[in-house]
Amino acid sequence: MSDTETTQAAIDAERIRRAEEAGEDYEIGLVSLSQWQLAWRKFRGHRLALIGLAMIGALVLIAVVGPIFLPYDFATIPIPDKIVYQGRPPSLDHLFGETGGLQRDVLRLVVNGARTSLFIGFSSMFIGVIIGTIVGAVAGYVGGFLDNVLMRIVDVMLSLPLLFVILVASRFFGNGSVLLIVIIFGLFGWMGVSRLVRSQFLSIRESEFVEAARAVGVRDRRIIFRHILPNAISPIVVVASLIVAGNIIGEAFVSFLGFGVNPTTPTWGNILSNALTFIPLGNWWWPMFPGVAIIVTVLAVNFIGDGLRDALDPRSRA
Amino acid sequence: MIKYIIRRSIQAIPVLFGITIVVYGILLAAPGGPTAKFNQNPRITQQMKEDFKRAWGLDQPVPVQYCRWMGFCSKEVDDKLLGVLPAPAAFIGPKGMPNFLPTGLSGASNGVLHGDFGFSIATGELVNTAITRAALPTLILASIALFVWLFVAILMGVYAAIHRYSLFDQAATIFAYVGYAMPTFWLGIMLIFLFSGPGLNLLPAGGMTETRVSPPFGSDDYWVYFGTHTLAAILDVGRHLILPVVTLVVVNIAGDSRFVRASMLEALGQDYVRTAKAKGLPGRSVTFKHALRNAMLPVVTNIGLEIPFLFTGAIVTETIFSWPGIGRLTIVAINSFDYPVLMGVLLISSMLVVFANLLADVAYAVVDPRITF
Repeated sequence: MSDTETTQAAIDAERIRRAEEAGEDYEIGLVSLSQWQLAWRKFRGHRLALIGLAMIGALVLIAVVGPIFLPYDFATIPIPDKIVYQGRPPSLDHLFGETGGLQRDVLRLVVNGARTSLFIGFSSMFIGVIIGTIVGAVAGYVGGFLDNVLMRIVDVMLSLPLLFVILVASRFFGNGSVLLIVIIFGLFGWMGVSRLVRSQFLSIRESEFVEAARAVGVRDRRIIFRHILPNAISPIVVVASLIVAGNIIGEAFVSFLGFGVNPTTPTWGNILSNALTFIPLGNWWWPMFPGVAIIVTVLAVNFIGDGLRDALDPRSRA
Repeated sequence: MIKYIIRRSIQAIPVLFGITIVVYGILLAAPGGPTAKFNQNPRITQQMKEDFKRAWGLDQPVPVQYCRWMGFCSKEVDDKLLGVLPAPAAFIGPKGMPNFLPTGLSGASNGVLHGDFGFSIATGELVNTAITRAALPTLILASIALFVWLFVAILMGVYAAIHRYSLFDQAATIFAYVGYAMPTFWLGIMLIFLFSGPGLNLLPAGGMTETRVSPPFGSDDYWVYFGTHTLAAILDVGRHLILPVVTLVVVNIAGDSRFVRASMLEALGQDYVRTAKAKGLPGRSVTFKHALRNAMLPVVTNIGLEIPFLFTGAIVTETIFSWPGIGRLTIVAINSFDYPVLMGVLLISSMLVVFANLLADVAYAVVDPRITF
């Protein structure tokens, strides 16, 4: 219980005591909390989740504001004062050091990479969750033959080695643009969500309030979106957080192998990819910082995911 | 039990069939196709491209190509139905039986159903040969990594469960969180920087054998060399194995050690463990005989599901450490638009996933007598 609530409780207790002393009548009001208020209360108690939330907040801020102060465009990139082929280790001028070859400032690359990598992680998650929710809702609600067909498609997609397929797709369809990578990751990232949503729909579909809605003649679309979906949303939120983490690592992996985003748009993956050719020169600072950025982001997202699971999963609610 | 296995196998057939369609579809939808690699070459005329397509059967309509690749259709019959579909006559093999039946019955030997994945467009060799050659290095890397990682994960998980909330347990938790968030390839790069960079030149940065000493792994010369210098050859491969194995192990034990810990904690809280303790059995015996064996049940399933991803997951590790396995084969095939090889690799790894799912379910039933079908 937080400070504000304890003080509120203390004030209430004090009021009741005074009223009793004065022999007056008094009322006890029960404050009912909504599902989300309860979840937030639980989430707040999860220390790691709060840390994760703060970390993601900071990262998003860096991704949005950072490139304004440290733009990565060829017209304004400062020219190094001295040419060192293998790059220079971290110094006061270049906090994260300089890359080999073109001698880019690693901090600048990482800050600009944050924008692309986070954008890819979140937006491809949205695409995946939307597709997955629609497929799962249709399969779970309609059932029967359609359900069977859709779930067999999911089985097939889940049996494919997705990373291979994504690699192949990025190589054959991709032209190094961020948008295409987002679409590819979205199109191959919905299966887990659809299974989850389907199972939720299967159980909620049979509940009394849905039956009541159907009895008074509510149309199917309204039942799906207004009656069932809001009740199925919490596990979707938890899975969505894990998808973000997976997609950020996945994008880094695809770009690292050279099939992802063009190096002119830095992402954490393609910064690492360029660093690989310079291994014999021993400039560790180049791959180190983008990698740490990935780890910090994924850690933060996973922390939030843990917090959300504790907060939203009714079975774990104390 | 056997009934269950048969039922599950039959259920897997449509999934496998769907996989072939998806794999074929993805590669077919790709712009350019196998002749795209000639676009930059001014010496190659349109006529030569046409000839190339005809030679590889790529001038045929898609359903016919798919039918031949799968082995439902014979390659000899060129007749078509409505111009796009294979004619009924194409489904009959040389011996007058349906083409897809085993070679002994139908006389046909083309197509995936007969175990023939065709020829690599880039190198002209059989896809089967290329995959078999690449499979051995991957198998060596994956099996050693799997062994080490299971051993460490089980040890860590059990120790952390017995000494719950101890310093070790907390350190393992932090390690699991960080390891889970760490991209494999990043760890690989950092390990190379650490151990084979200019500072501390201890271990080889890549490859499977020392190129100055030994012939390339898998070549005929190599096996001659292996015969004469067996110990040196094994030590050489061993030295090259250390970094890739460590990379795979660190990233993978993170999740698994947590899994073992959770499973072990659940087992330790069971009534039969309390009973065993109350009977006065020594603690060690209770932990390892009563709790551990039961805690391993879900772990077994988990391992079964993870094995196929060892193969595909090794793609990154193999790329970083230039390990001449399936992962490298795939990357090279992707770069050279080598469709037959890609389809072979994709199909085989998907089949592994389906098979592992089946195996995990069966294994679970074997180790847990409470489960009946």
